[in-house]
Amino acid sequence: MDTLLLSKKDLPKFITELIKKNKVFAPVENNGTIIFNQISKPDEMNLDSCKSEYPPKALIFNQTETLFKFTPGTKAKIESIDLDEKKVIFGIRPCDAKSVAILDHAFSDDFKDPYFIKKRENTVLVGLSCIKPEINCFCTSFDDDTPASSKYLDVLLTDIGDNYYVEVTNEKGKQLTKGMNQLLKPAKESDLKKKMEIEKKAVDMISRHQKTNGISEKLDKIFEHPMWKEIAFKCVGCGTCTYLCPTCHCFDIQDESTLTKGARIRVWDTCMNPEYTLHASGYNPRPARTNRVRNRIYHKYNYYPKNFDVIACVGCGRCIDLCPVNIDIIDVVTRAGEVKP
Amino acid sequence: MVDNNQLKEAVKKTVSRDDVKYVVGYEKGTYGFQATPTFAYKPEDSKKFIFSPLCVHNLAVFPMLEEKPPLRKGQEPDTRKIGVVVKGCDSRAIVQIIQEKGLDRDKVVIIGIPCTGVVDPKKLEKMFPGHIKNAELKDEDNKFAVTVDGKTTKVSKDELMPDKCKTCEYPTPVLYDILIGKEIKSTKKEDYKKVNEFEKKPLKDKWEYWEKQFDKCIRCYACRNACPLCYCKECMVDQLNPQWVRRSVDLSENTAWNLLRAFHLAGRCISCGQCERSCPMDIPLMELNKKIEKEIREMFEYEAGVNAEEKPLLAMFKPDDPEEFIL
Repeated sequence: MDTLLLSKKDLPKFITELIKKNKVFAPVENNGTIIFNQISKPDEMNLDSCKSEYPPKALIFNQTETLFKFTPGTKAKIESIDLDEKKVIFGIRPCDAKSVAILDHAFSDDFKDPYFIKKRENTVLVGLSCIKPEINCFCTSFDDDTPASSKYLDVLLTDIGDNYYVEVTNEKGKQLTKGMNQLLKPAKESDLKKKMEIEKKAVDMISRHQKTNGISEKLDKIFEHPMWKEIAFKCVGCGTCTYLCPTCHCFDIQDESTLTKGARIRVWDTCMNPEYTLHASGYNPRPARTNRVRNRIYHKYNYYPKNFDVIACVGCGRCIDLCPVNIDIIDVVTRAGEVKP
Repeated sequence: MVDNNQLKEAVKKTVSRDDVKYVVGYEKGTYGFQATPTFAYKPEDSKKFIFSPLCVHNLAVFPMLEEKPPLRKGQEPDTRKIGVVVKGCDSRAIVQIIQEKGLDRDKVVIIGIPCTGVVDPKKLEKMFPGHIKNAELKDEDNKFAVTVDGKTTKVSKDELMPDKCKTCEYPTPVLYDILIGKEIKSTKKEDYKKVNEFEKKPLKDKWEYWEKQFDKCIRCYACRNACPLCYCKECMVDQLNPQWVRRSVDLSENTAWNLLRAFHLAGRCISCGQCERSCPMDIPLMELNKKIEKEIREMFEYEAGVNAEEKPLLAMFKPDDPEEFIL
């Protein structure tokens, strides 16, 4: 790992350098909502917010992805999609970066999804440590995750006062920062110390914690517990929690066409929607909200750990922040750990 | 200020009735200022019930979300009533649904709360940001008394209330079985200020504004699911054959969805603001609803959800209708 220093006043120059060679996506404000959008100038960014409402997973696993285009009719022509575009996601938070690593399992372990894999390869993640975690942030509840962990990033910047402490963790990061010697100076031992202090401060600021110890095994024993019904009763069944979740990855595939052109698209789907599991026969294996609410928790804390040895939650807190009825995954999982089987 | 003990008592009494299945009300949420819907199945469950200006949800949605799983042979359906705690605006949703025959009056026990205005959670978060694990908010002397970490600040109501409360004409439920406290008469009047101002803008500006808003939509349908009046068995947006709205999330389809949603609530929306409150992307959906409400008030002198005996707007016909819009 290379450790460097970027003067804060040089950040615009650094971004401008990145924009020269790549499409750069960064948090921007859009009418009161923070989303990741392509930027053409550094001052379009908004780095004040802890996290974007809309998760940056959407840049690699797009909400609407065109798989290929076609012309309908007997002389159908098929046109494939160019996936070679090089992207830099700047300002992604360590939790969101981890979510991409979690998605890797779903899209590249057993079944290799060419769209995800290609985009992932062509994307460099340049992260920004959280120095002010919000009330529902709980990333420290998982493994050794922290708001300033560089583990899942190619490059991580941490605000240490007048400078950013820059960690270049791998070859991808090295390639990206190559030739920027004017801007990036070698860091000193004292800078690392500063970063660690800032990291500790941020960790201490996180006030909510989820008890995840042995949760996967516990869930095996409480599938029929009445608590699921109790929680599901207040669920209104919208898709906010799943669409904003950085690790949710279910999708639907549809052909959408007009008389002259068409496309096969893949769009995010949500297991909160009854239609999600509706069979062609009319039978629905998850007919009630209880089944669906429980599935969301089980998928993250039981099925995913069983399949890939990692909990599919990064503790970003978006589903808690924006649930219209205060269904709180910290509370739900903690309760699941406490109830008697 | 609502007497919480009186509320708990009313809930206890209601849930103790043989013909009541459960009562839905509010309890304290899991963090910060949150309040959350809660259910009482037994008399002792009533202890957790509260009411404060933080109780922003319209609970009339819950009787409509009732699931009716297929019955086993010989099993009788549970036809007992549902108790619902409602504010003035929430009660109008129940009235509207009864009008539309979506709900039987006999199937609900309405516990009414004369409401002095709730908060807008987004405004509250802006004013009191940060790590608030536990907070209280009360209505005191016509102000909101906000207590964070033991320190109380009094804030003028106008600063924290959503627009719907600032012009609320029905603070006391229009229909109820039990009323907690005394009736409140409204002195406020809906003036459609925002709508009137927006109407003056050039068409291009209006379109640009809504383009930006609809572009944010992620089609999670929280607006639909939180709405008590959106209770179709199958929403047109979920239908596949024919498919009215495509699944692609882009400006064109998002616009189709948002306009269809607003139009399907024409003459039915009772302005409880749940759609806007639930929207994770902060789309000002009430501005669309209010525009339609204003047109209907002006054209037909009709207001949704006020009288359960009245017919719904789209089901009535007056022989002396001037029909000015027909050339």
